[in-house]
Amino acid sequence: MTGEGPTEKQVVVIGGGPAGLTAGYELTKFDLRPVVLEKEGLVGGLARTESYKGFHFDMGGHRFFTKVEEVRKMWHDVLGGEFLRRPRLSRIYYNGKYFFYPLKPLNALFGLGFWQSVLIVLSYIRWQLFPYRREDTFEQWVTNRFGRRLFLTFFKTYTEKVWGISCSELKAEWAAQRIKDLSLKTALLSMFFKPKTTIKTLIEEFDYPRLGPGMMWNAVKSEIERRQGEVRLKSDVVGIKRTGNRIEAVVARRDGLEEIIRGTDFISSMPVTGFIKALDPPAPPAVLNAAARLSYRDFLTVVLIVNKPQIFDDNWIYIHDPSVHVGRIQNFKNWSPDMVPDPTQTSLGLEYFCTEGDAVWTMADADLIEMGRREIDRIGLARYEDVVDGCVVRVEKAYPVYDSDYAEYLSVVREFIDGLENCQTIGRNGLHRYNNQDHAMLTGMLAVRNLVLGQKNDLWSVNTDAEYHEEIREQVTDHDLEEVLEGALTQVFLKLDRVAMGLSFGLTAGALLFLATLALVLKGGHVGPNLGLLGQYFPGYTVTAAGSVLGLLYGFASGFVVGWTVAFLRNATVFLYMAVVHRRAELQALRRLLDYF
Amino acid sequence: MADEKRLLERMALTRALHLNATVQGVVTGLVTGLAIFIATNWLVLKGGEVVGPHLALLGQFLIGYRVTFAGSLVGFAYGFTGGYLVGYVVAGMYNWAAHRRERKRLGHV
Repeated sequence: MTGEGPTEKQVVVIGGGPAGLTAGYELTKFDLRPVVLEKEGLVGGLARTESYKGFHFDMGGHRFFTKVEEVRKMWHDVLGGEFLRRPRLSRIYYNGKYFFYPLKPLNALFGLGFWQSVLIVLSYIRWQLFPYRREDTFEQWVTNRFGRRLFLTFFKTYTEKVWGISCSELKAEWAAQRIKDLSLKTALLSMFFKPKTTIKTLIEEFDYPRLGPGMMWNAVKSEIERRQGEVRLKSDVVGIKRTGNRIEAVVARRDGLEEIIRGTDFISSMPVTGFIKALDPPAPPAVLNAAARLSYRDFLTVVLIVNKPQIFDDNWIYIHDPSVHVGRIQNFKNWSPDMVPDPTQTSLGLEYFCTEGDAVWTMADADLIEMGRREIDRIGLARYEDVVDGCVVRVEKAYPVYDSDYAEYLSVVREFIDGLENCQTIGRNGLHRYNNQDHAMLTGMLAVRNLVLGQKNDLWSVNTDAEYHEEIREQVTDHDLEEVLEGALTQVFLKLDRVAMGLSFGLTAGALLFLATLALVLKGGHVGPNLGLLGQYFPGYTVTAAGSVLGLLYGFASGFVVGWTVAFLRNATVFLYMAVVHRRAELQALRRLLDYF
Repeated sequence: MADEKRLLERMALTRALHLNATVQGVVTGLVTGLAIFIATNWLVLKGGEVVGPHLALLGQFLIGYRVTFAGSLVGFAYGFTGGYLVGYVVAGMYNWAAHRRERKRLGHV
């Protein structure tokens, strides 16, 4: 294969993270023998498990739950009984106090104090009545939904720690992405079906590999190799050779030596910016420029080993307090007891969000550990002197940044990549899309189906939204029933045509009055003294032949008004109802907003 | 998937609801029939020297109707039939008008 022209379908997968390894694993199911190239010395990418003196740590914390059945099946096929079912507890540390997360109203009330709570409620009402007219920024978007005080208390500091830019500069799209596609159907269904206990379970409990997510990816690597595939570690792709719209080979640097690896098809999960930059001959200048404008946020984890068997019950704690730099603290032992070799000790992961090359990123490991010790002591989670050891792990390109122009630049890059005949990009960084592990895996699966089965799955549209919103859909057990209900509910909630309703009411009322009057006239005798009372409302109306015609007109006019009003009020009520349903669903999703980081 | 959702929402915003004429007829018929039935029996149970002189005027249109228990059953039948017709006709006319207006909006006419 190396250095020779391929004789059969030979797929090269760039990246040994969840997306790349899943693609490799799926390819072996079709009796193909992919070559997976991983830059680092271990597999897992952003979901790898690092180790230090027998302590294992997960970069960022990866809960294993998904609504994607194929992904769930793969996890259990690969790891089987190695999963633990773990309880989820996470809190926010702010102003010296802890708040449950997702937020619980009573807990927040007691934590913040009575007056602060009153001010938050007043602020919420004020922003509901007089919201920002435009929702361009994250600050405006959250303020319009939670009120300014709650935004300042629970969202501003942490969001700015994560992204490193002011909330007034961060695009609203990042938060809105998870909410805006909430469908009418989903919102309606959520009102008609109570959540099943499994939904609660997903939020309060999760599966976790006994030795962290890296255990999963090591097992996938072994499985690929068992099926004659290849996973090459420390193989950094530094060049991608193309002829027109076809990729011919990649250049991988390993131990200082460069090697050309040819293939018939390529799947890349490497950062899309690096992918474009590595092309030879180079991509058009507009594409190169667009790719260069896409940016990432990085983070590093300072692992502290503490001489205490138990420190706190949370899996992780969000640190909103602006007095310290740390953004989130993981307690690895609470993810899995096997992550710690000595039960008398605990390992904590202090996550510092930064940008490659900045002051935090370039700080010496010893200084970072010292800063971590001081901050953990200051927060009061552990005493300075109880920290006995530590190490630092840096994670590059952890979060694709959704800044003001990213969508425009990404569309240029996407158009170019879509034009490549034998190459697909997958995963969080391959698509520059905020996909979680399961959706990154799904892009790998779909890419293989496109390649082998000739399907036309749009990998760019696999997005993170489905995860939580799909929970609502899952509540209906019978899929067919769900489809039927969705259709019926959608029909019911269509608006009434006001004019058509007015016309039908008017014509019917006019005809009825006309016929009733005429019937009495034809009957003769003492003609209709009671029906004649309508003349008090309809000037000129009498129970006569001429009056019947006038009655027709009056009946039509008044019926039209009534019909139009009925339709208007009904539509307004449905609209208000829908607005309330949508807002409730938005707030539900927003309550878990921090989980999306 | 997102396109499908947007399509659905656009449909909800632009398309008009169409009524099921039979259902509308049955509902209007039942409401009217029950209204006459209950109103008649209310007056019958209330009693008095002259029972329901005003409601009895319905007899001018509904032949055989009187303010008695038997009359309430006749009234129910008349009410249901008349209500059904009115409901059916209203829904039918509404659907016809709404359909024409919708086609016009969408540029088919």
